[in-house]
Amino acid sequence: MIDVWINGAAMMQTGRHYSLNIDEMGAKVLEEALKDAGYPDLDAIFVASATAEQADKQQMLGAYIAARLGLDKVATFRVENADGSGGSALVLAASAVRSGLYNCVAVVGVDKPNDVLSNQQQDIYSTATDSVYERFFGVTPAAQAAIMAKLYLKKYEYKYEDLALWPVLMHKNGASNPYAYMRKQAKVEDVLDSELVSDPLRLYDVGPMADGAAAAVLCNRKGAVRILGMGSATSSTPFNARQDYDVLYSAKEAAERAYKMAGITARDVAAAEVHDSYSIFGVLAAEALGLAQRGQLLALLKSGADLNVNLSGGLKSRGNVMGATGVYQAVEVAWQLLGKSPFKKADGNIGVIHSMGGADKISTVVVLGL
Amino acid sequence: MEHESVPLYWRNIPAYYRLVARRCKRCGEVYFPPVLKCPRCGSNELEDVELPQEGELVEFTVLRSVPTDFLKQKPVILGLVKLGPAKVLGQIVDAAPEKLKEGQRVEVAFRRVVVDGKYGLVMYGYKFRPRP
Repeated sequence: MIDVWINGAAMMQTGRHYSLNIDEMGAKVLEEALKDAGYPDLDAIFVASATAEQADKQQMLGAYIAARLGLDKVATFRVENADGSGGSALVLAASAVRSGLYNCVAVVGVDKPNDVLSNQQQDIYSTATDSVYERFFGVTPAAQAAIMAKLYLKKYEYKYEDLALWPVLMHKNGASNPYAYMRKQAKVEDVLDSELVSDPLRLYDVGPMADGAAAAVLCNRKGAVRILGMGSATSSTPFNARQDYDVLYSAKEAAERAYKMAGITARDVAAAEVHDSYSIFGVLAAEALGLAQRGQLLALLKSGADLNVNLSGGLKSRGNVMGATGVYQAVEVAWQLLGKSPFKKADGNIGVIHSMGGADKISTVVVLGL
Repeated sequence: MEHESVPLYWRNIPAYYRLVARRCKRCGEVYFPPVLKCPRCGSNELEDVELPQEGELVEFTVLRSVPTDFLKQKPVILGLVKLGPAKVLGQIVDAAPEKLKEGQRVEVAFRRVVVDGKYGLVMYGYKFRPRP
């Protein structure tokens, strides 16, 4: 098999980019990533986006991103798996290189949820639920996360104050990340005083929707960081029919596959970025990746353990950049392994990303190594 | 969302009005939403079955950040309800959240769910309310 390397990467600060169109944002980070990679001949672009059609009325985004840079004749593909699009696009892009079809491809993750109002963001996000049986009745991923949080806290006898430790840690991490949306520290009291979104989840439990774009150039030519393993899985049981609400099945399966392919265990992981669109998902994702025993992550946080999870600030602080999230995570983990600014060097050579769509519908885990 | 599809709504009326689920003829498992093949035993022999009209509340949340169609109703209570052989996620109405509790008896209530703008459909479906 052919080894796949990250040759170049770029991301832009997340937030409200009112002055840029979605294709321009994609083109901006793609150009930077290509420059970082030394301008290789690009065979294909894989675009990850969750909201392009609904927020920006654009299909075939890859072709328009290519047009902004004069990348004539390049192959373009679009990958949509809701807020898990980024991880899915990474797997497809890396597979295309690994198979020998292409020598050099780019993954571009881009979304602009702030082009619409907050209730319209909920309209869009709710299409990640079952449109007929959930969205129709007003269900959103937030409501599903809330029910899972309630059942998790109950089962493992935690208080809400314990869950509040997650957003506090995320804000601490994100405060020093210049690419992040919410760059300020938060105290447990700030979390407890914030408004309820879907009980028990409060504003601080919810990753704020942010515009963002990130890109990575993957080639068969040796680069700084290699893709060691990849795993993707769905959890097809409908939310209402789940046996357990305290585990992310898709993440667990994806992690097992990716770790096996990379030949690593959870103990080897020195840096991790997980999909904490809601604080409870961050907790469950970290457990699914084996960074804590089932039901024990909050106990670890309470004991003051040092967790190398979401040094970017996660979706809570960096922002929920929807379909672009997985690509951000890949850039963040690569830079953490390399010790590239703004991140300090990870204490090890192995990093993982966990990208998820909806409430445990699909997950992708990618293992990166030096 | 404005301009919901008319055929999309109409073809789902059996589920929305009568909670039509699907039962595996071989192993007896009941699925809601209906499946085309039994995930448990792999059988393709399935039949439609209506879920019971009464059940109990498993868990719920009060959603305050809602999609556009539900702005007038917010906050919306969303609950997991056990209806005989299947669980269903739906709105809980005619209830004060502080009085709702796990295990509470609830029944199906046929209600208006979405009014699609001035010229669109008025769409109905199941919701749940506490049993008196």
